[in-house]
Amino acid sequence: MGILESILDMYLVFVIAYFLAVNLTYTLFLIISYKEILHHMRHNLFCNYRLMVQSELTPPVSILAPAFNEEPTVIESVKSLLKLSYGKYEVIVINDGSRDKTLHRLLTEFGMFKSRQIYQPFIGARPVRGIYKSRMPEYKNLTVVDKENGGKADALNVGINVARYEYVCCIDADSLLEADALQKVVKPFLEDETIIAVGGIVRIVNGCEVVNGRVATVELSRRWLPIFQVVEYFRAFLCGRMFWHGFNGLLIISGAFGLFKRSAVVEAGGYKHDTVGEDMELITRLHRIKREKKEPYRIVFVPDPVCWTEAPESITVLARQRNRWHRGLLDTMLIHRKMLFNPRYGIVGLAAMPYFVFVELLGPALEFFGYVVMFLLFILGALNLNMALLFFIVALFYGVMYSVGAVLLEEISFQRYPKPRDLATLLSFGVLENFGYRHLTTWWRVRAFWDYFRGMSSWGAMQRKGFATAKT
Amino acid sequence: MHLEYFILLTLAAGATSFVVVASIALIIRKAVDVQRQRRRTHLYQHYSAKLAELLLTDLPEIPPDSKTGGIARQYELLVLPMKKRMSKMDPGRRMFHRQALRSVLVDLALDVTGETADRLVYFFSSLGFVQEHIQLLRSKKWWVRAQAARDLGLLRARKAIPTLTLLLEDRNDGARYQAMQSLITLAGVESLRTILRIAKRLSPWMAIELSVIVMRFEDAAVPYLIEALKSPDQSVVLFSIEMLAEIGFVSAVEPLRALLTEYPSSVVQAKAAEALGRLGDKRAEEELLRLVGSPHPHLRTKAIEALGQIGSPSALPTLLRQFAKGSLTEKITTARSIASLSQEGAETIRSLASDPDELNRSVAQQVAEEFALEIAGS
Repeated sequence: MGILESILDMYLVFVIAYFLAVNLTYTLFLIISYKEILHHMRHNLFCNYRLMVQSELTPPVSILAPAFNEEPTVIESVKSLLKLSYGKYEVIVINDGSRDKTLHRLLTEFGMFKSRQIYQPFIGARPVRGIYKSRMPEYKNLTVVDKENGGKADALNVGINVARYEYVCCIDADSLLEADALQKVVKPFLEDETIIAVGGIVRIVNGCEVVNGRVATVELSRRWLPIFQVVEYFRAFLCGRMFWHGFNGLLIISGAFGLFKRSAVVEAGGYKHDTVGEDMELITRLHRIKREKKEPYRIVFVPDPVCWTEAPESITVLARQRNRWHRGLLDTMLIHRKMLFNPRYGIVGLAAMPYFVFVELLGPALEFFGYVVMFLLFILGALNLNMALLFFIVALFYGVMYSVGAVLLEEISFQRYPKPRDLATLLSFGVLENFGYRHLTTWWRVRAFWDYFRGMSSWGAMQRKGFATAKT
Repeated sequence: MHLEYFILLTLAAGATSFVVVASIALIIRKAVDVQRQRRRTHLYQHYSAKLAELLLTDLPEIPPDSKTGGIARQYELLVLPMKKRMSKMDPGRRMFHRQALRSVLVDLALDVTGETADRLVYFFSSLGFVQEHIQLLRSKKWWVRAQAARDLGLLRARKAIPTLTLLLEDRNDGARYQAMQSLITLAGVESLRTILRIAKRLSPWMAIELSVIVMRFEDAAVPYLIEALKSPDQSVVLFSIEMLAEIGFVSAVEPLRALLTEYPSSVVQAKAAEALGRLGDKRAEEELLRLVGSPHPHLRTKAIEALGQIGSPSALPTLLRQFAKGSLTEKITTARSIASLSQEGAETIRSLASDPDELNRSVAQQVAEEFALEIAGS
């Protein structure tokens, strides 16, 4: 019994130390992110983005949109991409062997014909069946590539091969970019030539009014699941990514919206197609390569070029998405485990990787283990109820603090939700998510370990409703 | 009490306080902002109306024996009551009023011209804003310096030219750019000489900002751009080449040809080749033909592209030789240039489209499609 008590005491000390470290990190995230957002806003105070539309010096961009069974949304998404306010750019839609009528709809809607363009495989990928160009002058900057199914990463690699320009913007075919998003995401490359990748913020479109492929009115969804995700996205983007951006330790640029220097991606070998976390894996690999070669580089996050995406509205789809994200994180951390605590990789090896491993990856497992221990102690009658209750209250308050802090960051900076009612809803969901929702996501992420080690590698289908019906 | 309990309690108290304080602070801030904004809007409207009245009023008569300048004296008579009213205010209130007045003056300056603008410029100076803004150009905060520079330009404060010139060497790009814009407004195209002389390490973003300024003057900017080709800073040379190509003035050809042969950097040579292509002047053909054999791939590509843009059929033999031995990417570039060489080039692409070499054939077919050339079997 003495040994058991000692183990329990040690476990308690570990839990408190871990809890303290994690929450101090989160507090630091909030403070640093606030400073970074303020810096970003001041830096662009006099910035006239329209110059980029006027000037011939603005670098051209290739937008890559992989599409797999996107029949309901593909036409609207492509039309929205063709209407971006930017100088010279091309849109490349990569049909990744869709089984529905995605390709047919693209070919008929935009009057496409099979081109004789030579395909140069700078990065290895599944075979290309055809490259299509439009007969209509208004769509002359649109290219559709039809290829055998190989997953999103493979499709993006084909897009990179076909791209004509040095800057490639990788997005999801079902994402909506704001008209000036490209200007804002390109600007950092023009200010610092060592930058190799820039990520923009992803926001949730559910509840917003979408007119002609543009978000006309920003509102919260009437369903509770997307609102929880809005708060989560604030935390992830405005706190997490802004913090790591400040130290050049950003390990992820969302697959939904990122701009890359094509030469850097080709040099790295493109996206890895046998992982479900290809976006994170590529960024981690870029860090690794650049640091091994001791080349100056930066990977940055910009908080105001907005990409809108549809969030899952059903528990099943959300569970699959979170499971996949966690498997992707686990896979990336295992692939690049050599970087962990390795001073050769600077801030990435000594801070970013440990954070992602011990907080993001193992956090849910430790939390879940804690619940199991508590339950066992309760059964055995050894649970100190006062202590457990107090711990629960503290955890709750810290969870609330971080979520509310993220909402506050949004409110003092970009204020995209203009209605006070929406702000109140977001603040209350920052509290409510600690009563069940967070535990649900913890469970999905714990299950991801099991799925990963039994070899599951599927993405899981996302049910798209189309943007015309986004207001739900 | 156990240490663990104490730590947890402290944490709970800390977290709770943070959330409560932050939320209350946010609500208070919003409320204060709304109040302040309301007062500011009210004052803004008041001064907008007041200044509109002053701008539209007929100038008052001045005694014939007045010693001071006529127009200035008349403007001063207009603004005098406002100055007197402000001088009676306590410092805090005066500052708040001056902020509103400054905003109105700056906003109006964007819309008015002619004599009305002259009045505005006088009011700005007479109310002491010019001196105040010149002081602000020395502020530690770059955004204050940038805003002051912008306002001084908008309100044509010529007195600020020396300080604005110093600001061209500011460590912040934003402040530097506002100084450039203001100097252009105040001193016209001639200030380009100073701007390009002082400019160094132009980032692509700064070059974009500067390009919009230069393009306002078009041909008048050419002598200054040609002068800047001799800048010791490579980024300024590259920028000047780009602008000369963009403006398309024929007097730029000779200095660009000189760069092509004399400049030590292949990056600058490539840019010059590109510019000569865009200018489409045949005088550069000889140098460009020579550069097709350059060991630098980037320079080679630019020379090939430029020859295509000039469009002289005499380049065809050299381009055909390059097409035969180049890499795939270079073959495509060369084929595009060949296709641009009038009828003769188009015929060459048609014949290459049935070349026995599969790669040559594919490249020619791709380029034929791009140039909408009819080929057998298409």
